[in-house]
Amino acid sequence: MPKAAPDAAYAVLTHAFDALRIHDYDAAISFFGKAAALVPGRADIRKNMAYALLKIGDSEAARDQFGEAMRLDPSDLHVALEYAFLCYEATGEAPARKAEARRIFLRIRMSSDTDARATAAAAFENIDSPLAAGIARWQQVLANSRPTFSALYELAQLAEQRDELDLAADSYKRAFQLLPERKSVLLELARVEKARGNAEGATAALLAASRGGETRAAELAREQLPERYPYVYEFRNALALDPGNDALHRELAYLLLAMSEKDQASRGDAEQEFKQIVDRSPHDYLAAAQLGILYLAGDDNALAMPILRDVLAHADQATANRVRMALKMPLLLEERRPENSPDVAPFDPRVLAERSYQAGFFKDAKRYFLAAREQNPADASIALKLGWTTNLLHDDAAALRWFDIARRSDDHAISTEANRAYGNLRPGLALFRTTLWVYPLFSSRWNDLFGYGQLKTEVNLKKLPFRPYVSLRFVGDARRSTGGVSPENLSESAFIFGAGVATRYWRGAMAWFEAGTTVSYLNGTRSADYRGGVSYAKTIGASIAAEHSGWFIESLADSVFISRFSNDLLNYSQNRAGFTSSLGGFKVQTFWSNNLTFDAKKQYWANFVETGPGFRFHPPGTPPSLAITLGVVRGVYLRNEGNPHRPNFIDFRAGIWYAFTK
Amino acid sequence: MRSRNNVGRAVLLVAFAPHCSAGVFSVIGSQSGSWPSILSSAGHIAGPSAVADILVAPSGTPDSPEWRGRVERGAALILEGSSPLATAFGFRPEGEIAPVVHLVDVHNPKLPIVWSQPIQIPRYTIPGGAQVFAKDRWTSAPEIAGLRVGAGAVLWVAVNPGVNGYERFPYLPQALNDLGFAPVWRASGLWAFFDYSYRTRADPDYLAEHWRKEGISALHVAGWHFYDPDAGRDEYLKQLIEACHRHGVLVYAWVELPHVSDMFWNDHPAWREKTALLQDAQLDWRKLMNLQNAACVEAIRAGLKQMVARFDWDGVNLAELYFESLEGAGNPARFTPMNDDVRREFQKQAGWDPIELFSTSGKSRADTASLHQFLDFRAGLARRMQEDWLGTMESFRQFRPDLDIILTHVDDRFDSGMRDSIGADAARVLPLLDGHTFSFLIEDPATVWNLGPQRYAEIAKRYQPLTKHTEKLAIDINIVDRYQDVYPTKQQTGTELFELVHMASMAFPRVALYFENSILKADLPLLAASSAVVTRYSKDHDRISIESPMDLELNWTAAGALVDGKPWPAQSAATVHLPAGAHIVEQNPKRESIHLIDLNARLISAAYETGKALAFQYASDSRAIARFDRKPARIDVDGAPRESKCTTPGACAVLLPRGSHRVRAE
Repeated sequence: MPKAAPDAAYAVLTHAFDALRIHDYDAAISFFGKAAALVPGRADIRKNMAYALLKIGDSEAARDQFGEAMRLDPSDLHVALEYAFLCYEATGEAPARKAEARRIFLRIRMSSDTDARATAAAAFENIDSPLAAGIARWQQVLANSRPTFSALYELAQLAEQRDELDLAADSYKRAFQLLPERKSVLLELARVEKARGNAEGATAALLAASRGGETRAAELAREQLPERYPYVYEFRNALALDPGNDALHRELAYLLLAMSEKDQASRGDAEQEFKQIVDRSPHDYLAAAQLGILYLAGDDNALAMPILRDVLAHADQATANRVRMALKMPLLLEERRPENSPDVAPFDPRVLAERSYQAGFFKDAKRYFLAAREQNPADASIALKLGWTTNLLHDDAAALRWFDIARRSDDHAISTEANRAYGNLRPGLALFRTTLWVYPLFSSRWNDLFGYGQLKTEVNLKKLPFRPYVSLRFVGDARRSTGGVSPENLSESAFIFGAGVATRYWRGAMAWFEAGTTVSYLNGTRSADYRGGVSYAKTIGASIAAEHSGWFIESLADSVFISRFSNDLLNYSQNRAGFTSSLGGFKVQTFWSNNLTFDAKKQYWANFVETGPGFRFHPPGTPPSLAITLGVVRGVYLRNEGNPHRPNFIDFRAGIWYAFTK
Repeated sequence: MRSRNNVGRAVLLVAFAPHCSAGVFSVIGSQSGSWPSILSSAGHIAGPSAVADILVAPSGTPDSPEWRGRVERGAALILEGSSPLATAFGFRPEGEIAPVVHLVDVHNPKLPIVWSQPIQIPRYTIPGGAQVFAKDRWTSAPEIAGLRVGAGAVLWVAVNPGVNGYERFPYLPQALNDLGFAPVWRASGLWAFFDYSYRTRADPDYLAEHWRKEGISALHVAGWHFYDPDAGRDEYLKQLIEACHRHGVLVYAWVELPHVSDMFWNDHPAWREKTALLQDAQLDWRKLMNLQNAACVEAIRAGLKQMVARFDWDGVNLAELYFESLEGAGNPARFTPMNDDVRREFQKQAGWDPIELFSTSGKSRADTASLHQFLDFRAGLARRMQEDWLGTMESFRQFRPDLDIILTHVDDRFDSGMRDSIGADAARVLPLLDGHTFSFLIEDPATVWNLGPQRYAEIAKRYQPLTKHTEKLAIDINIVDRYQDVYPTKQQTGTELFELVHMASMAFPRVALYFENSILKADLPLLAASSAVVTRYSKDHDRISIESPMDLELNWTAAGALVDGKPWPAQSAATVHLPAGAHIVEQNPKRESIHLIDLNARLISAAYETGKALAFQYASDSRAIARFDRKPARIDVDGAPRESKCTTPGACAVLLPRGSHRVRAE
């Protein structure tokens, strides 16, 4: 006889029933919860837990447990009845819950179980008759008197409970039309539209609720809307439902404008939408200016000029200056607008700016942030946002100015963020930029500690395609030579003073050349030094500075001419592929590297390939540009003429990279 | 009219810290913001920073070893936004600034906490080991977090809590509580409304025990469910009343005339009230009867008498006895009364039928003077009904001599539109206090549920000139979803609820809550503390000096207590019960043999007569309930022996007569 499977929840259930016996309901519920977690598919555990919850008066939690039990065992009509009774008592989303209760009673009253059938039939009758009477009563009220919000709303709720969904939807719509500021009604309409399978209707209601008006309704609508940005037709459906929703009109207008700039919508559509805004809100001069400029761009001066003249006469100077710019008129110095000025647009540019920013419409975001800044010049958070917006628009000079303003804020959080952004951006735009990098490296193959570094100051002449610089390099090591009968120097052991020029980066590549003098720190000898080359660096995927984990490929390529090496041209290609992960703020890259080195003079020491694994990590709390690299490579010399070493080698390397720019 | 809307389910957070106690708080610097409102409402009191258990560091507070030392030694430090001090504890603004408008709080994760406007807040990093109490709904950025540090704790909030203290973070007091900083005092005098339909299968003992712990002294039970005798329901109510009395809770019959009961409505269609559209007045859940019909009134009177006699009630609450609706004459579909008796009586007086006010054809009257003539008549009618029914209730004292009577009446002083809307006119009703013994429970009209807690002081001020019996005034707080566009929560919860209860407790001698099942679970542990009013508190080692205008329970776990230098008999395992006034409480190493562990009445005085006998004086408008830690061998009330029926082991509840009495137990 097969052995019965042990009951995983037996011990916990024993505790639960023991607790129930002594009326310790809280403990019993806790044990039933644990049992349900151990055996999630057992309906009886849910059922017992529900009864225990009823003992402490928590009907809502009991309802949820009965609901789960019903899902697990649909044949248990007793559980279904319990669930239905509790649904009928529900207060959250009451109409939908009551409708669900009514449907369950309706279903069970057709069942073959005599007792359940009788209970369900009585319950159904108790629910349905008053609902039908209530619907008739409110319909009569509406037929005999002026429709009111409360009558329509009451009718909608009763109709929803009775699954008369068309009547419910229609009544919710009419109620909303009487009280359009009550956006929460749109959430109820969306619920009914969903229930009657009208997904577009539901989206329209949610979209209308999500823009303008009650913040709570907007947030609850946002939770139900798809994550994607709405389509134009969805905006239009929402506006058909809520034609007075100015925020929705504006957003659609700017969406159409942005789409028309990418030839995804006709300029006429955008014009029409802006026209509606201007018709509805004649003092919205920002929209009026946009409409006039659109007409102007379409060479429709007859329509454009009256509007633009009106904007010039009444709008704030920032908006008026935009019109002046379009009309190629001289701009006026912008003055701070007095508060409560009658020409304040009847919407909050800050809100529109944030929305545009979040939607990725950075040009619009900039325009609105400028308007917001105009209204509130003391608000450093707007300056900060302008910094980020202009940065995203690749206008780093403007971004730097905004970050500079924001970093003077008294608000610690704003000034901290702005300072950091300013510090990151400034070096790229300053006239002089000084960079220091150092790279101490231990190599097991040479049993030596090498040191590389460079201090370089560039002059940033924006109009020139290259930047002059002066540089001091350091190349040295601790061991100095290999020793033995024919010792070889392991590094140049020198400081190299030089001056040169470097091109700007283009897609990760740049070229450079410098002339200077090498001074040995071992014996002070000097020699002329000319060097130059091209360099390329590219990282695809999650770099070590990335905030997220992920795969990466990194490629570095250098071709360097060095006069001191018999005018040799050395070529390096270093490639790494791996995964970047973050362990509690500790960034780690695990990679495999493949390196190729070769030269023009075909010298054995400059021709080899290497391959092997490695780690690079950035410890938390250290400067962002610091990285520690550990790796092992297996190498093969490609040329062995004159090579005193074995043709193959294994090398363990440990190095610390650090750089900063001022 | 009351809504039967209920609440969402709450989820309780399991506290992760040992409980310290906190009495005194202090805000560092000169800008205290709304912190005094928040902390006072949750059972703490302002005091000098040198002795404070809770310190609040506003944004920008410099780092100081002093504050860190205080935390290590056991203080709670509340950090607001960014500051060098917050940075020192590891709360740093390091991410991009983003708008925040919607929070999720662990104390009630299903409840949307939505701010009226987005606020730009940088994303903060928080120290390892910190618990996030509230986060941004969309980005999960922490907005409230806390951690234990040494013997104390740090509670950080991303921005200040707003001008009133409840606009942004409802559950700050709960977070402080979770970190171990619980209030040290509480009061147990709240009333709560109760509708059995939400609790039909609950264990009455479980409920009663919890209500008492939450500071509830009386339950006002929806009487219309028990108007018509029904064996099952009657048994349930009898058990509930017994359980309540066992646990020290009084029980009142809550009567909602002109609604009587569903059965009464079904059985007497001819006595139904009519709206101005001449439909039967079934409005929301209430099915209104015609209280101007003599036969109807007689039937109801008999039914109520039977209901009051059938159960061991402590009182009756005659609630909302006027007309419909808050929309007034503007919505004829909800406007009452328009039954034939009213129309006849008015026509006799005025010479025209009031239905003409709402007629769209035939005879009609659209002039304001006519409308006001009828509205005045209607307000007078309401006043007459209230007096008649008060008289009826008083007549029940013939067979229930200790019956307390409450008249619940919507406020029409703060919202003066109530008189015309529903006929409520407090100025006409309050003089009844001169000739009748009842309490006047003022109900906040739904139209002002969106206003702040300060309104209670204003309401109290407006009622004081109307009666000299101000000790008989009480206030009712409706804890339900509000129809207004309110923030951060649709229903009052957390700090907003605590401020409402606290301010109401300061302004009125009695506070009622509608209703016990709508109060969110997260609020229950701090409700009793929020209802307590303490005007002075200091602690010097084990010697506590405290003053309050009300009865108070002070946390006390020592073996015994000396109050004002004398051994004190009113002590449970966790608290000492102090009468109103100033007291010094000290440890008493000796524990006497019998204790008054709970008293549902105003305690006037208490003392041990011998090691085995205690005596106390109390005052109560209703019956009182005294609970002892053992069954007394003998109880005398004003020298006369009184029977004690005890069934609960370790706690013996004794019902005592209303009024002022002296009790001796041994």
